Formats: sequence, structure tokens, C-alpha cells
Amino acid sequence: MQDNVIDRSKDITILELLDRVLNKGVILTGDIVISVADIDLVYLGVKLMLSSVETMEQLRSGQSKAE
Amino acid sequence: MINDLIYVYCISNSPPDLRKNNALEGLKCITFQGFYTVVKLVSYSEFSEENLKKNLSDITWLEFNARAHVRIISLLMEDCTVIPFKFGTIYHTQDSLKKFITDYSDSFIENFLIIQGKEEWSVKIYCDRRTLCERIDELSEEAATLEKEIMASAPGKAFLLRRKKADLIENELNKLTKSYGQEYYNEINKMSENTTLNNLLPKELTGREDTMILNSAFLVRKDKAVDFVTTISFLRKKYPDLGFDIEMTGPWPPFSFVSIQEKL
Repeated sequence: MQDNVIDRSKDITILELLDRVLNKGVILTGDIVISVADIDLVYLGVKLMLSSVETMEQLRSGQSKAE
Repeated sequence: MINDLIYVYCISNSPPDLRKNNALEGLKCITFQGFYTVVKLVSYSEFSEENLKKNLSDITWLEFNARAHVRIISLLMEDCTVIPFKFGTIYHTQDSLKKFITDYSDSFIENFLIIQGKEEWSVKIYCDRRTLCERIDELSEEAATLEKEIMASAPGKAFLLRRKKADLIENELNKLTKSYGQEYYNEINKMSENTTLNNLLPKELTGREDTMILNSAFLVRKDKAVDFVTTISFLRKKYPDLGFDIEMTGPWPPFSFVSIQEKL
């Protein structure tokens, strides 16, 4: 159990971060604004990154499933 | 300087102190119509429409810049009320930025009223269903009754009853996560001024074994933040060993609670 929220909030996951800065805030303006389609691509990238980390961990712990 | 793009972090209704921290170096404040817009001049090579799109696919670049975006707004939020902008909001010229401010000034004023003196906290609740399942006979009367019946039955009947119990457990687990989740949410909600619900994230994105059952943001008065945090700590300990975990981050700029409408 974590009680120290200040330390905890330093360690914000990239997902939590992107969830706020890309999806929220003032959005319907700007001469250039990251579009919904772009954001989908970003998430796809993060997903790939996370799953490759997972795969790496699985490989490391010898639990990789045969394709 | 002509080639520079204007990257907007946030708008405040009081003058921000850009010299209080090194992280704010290089920022500019554009004062216009009583609003203080904190911006940075950025290069085409990074932030033109085409280059920005390219850079978005570079997770390292994105993470670095997204963290900087939040860090800067958070620093400014310490002494000012700020309307946070989405990452990567760019204006080509000061004139187009000023036109935007003129067009949306009423909406800014309304938003300032809503978020004045408040901050955002993120709360995610997870449930490890296996842990909850281990305690099912204590938590569900129906499950306990059925268990007694199984114990008193001959092997053949007990086998059938076990299958019946498996279905029942699934149902009861759903009920339990719903009622505990709701109770947590209600308690947390009492400490906040407003709340939003976000989509639940799948395990492949959270990287956790347990299941997300609540993804929410709360708008909390700054002078009540300590009570809010205390409430969460209390709730974390309220039902130990049931498999629930409450994850909290904050304070965030009120990203989830600003909504800008065009002036009619």
C-alpha cells in the first residue's frame, strides 16, 4: 500500500499522462491540433511498445508461448 | 523569429510568475483582454503539422514533451488558476491566437468560475477477482448456502451443484465489484466538487493482472486536497484482503473539467 502520494504521482505512467494531455483540455481550437486519428495512432504505438515490453519480460522469465 | 510557431500551454486569469522556476525558462506570457496566455515559441522542424505527426510516433519524444507540458502547467497552477490546453496546440501567429481568445472569452470566464481554486485528481480502482472469489462464501449468502448443500450431498449431486455454483459465483462477483466500487466512488465523490468517468482500460494497456473497475477524475478544492487524499488512504484500508486496489494520481491541472464553447 502506498501512502506517499507525492512520490507516487512522480511515477505517472505514460498512459495516464497521454490520457490527459491528448484527450482532455481545450481541444477544439488551434491552427494545428493533434487529431483524433493521430491520437489513435499514438495509442497503437504505446500498445505495441507495452506489448513488446511484456513479450521481453515473458521471454526473460522463460514463459513465452509458442506461436 | 518569423518562422516560429506559438505553442500554448494554458490560459490564466492572473499574471503568472515565469521566473519562479528554471523549468519555465523560455516561456512567454501574452497578455490580452485580461487573459494571460502562457506560450513558447517552437520550431517548424518539431511542430509544423507534418513534423508534429511524425514526432508523435516517436514515443520517447512524445513522453518527454508530454511530461514537460504537464510539468509546466502544474508549476503555473501552484499560484494561478489555469485552463490547461491539449498537448500540441499550435498557432501560426499572435493574431490567430488573439482571435481565438476574443472568440472564446465568455467561455474562458465560465470555465475559470468552475475551476477557480480547484485541482484534478485521478482515481482508478482495480479488482482482483480471484482474491474476491476466495472469500465468496463469506461475502455471498447464496454462495454459502449452496456450499453447505454441496457438502451435504452425495458425490453425483455435489458435482452438479458445483457447476451451478461456478455460474453463481460469476454473478455474485459482478454484484460485489459493482457494490464495492459504487461505495468507494460515493465516498470519494463526497470529497469533490465534480467528477467525470473515463473509459475502463484493458489489461493489455494497464499492464496489470487485476481488472480495472473504475476510471474517474475528481475536481477537488485545493484547500480540501488533504482531506481527499486522507479519504483515499482510509478507503484503501477499509476492506483489506478483498482484492480491491485504489490507484490515485494528482494533483493534475483540471484537464477533465474544462469545456470551451464558441461565443454565440
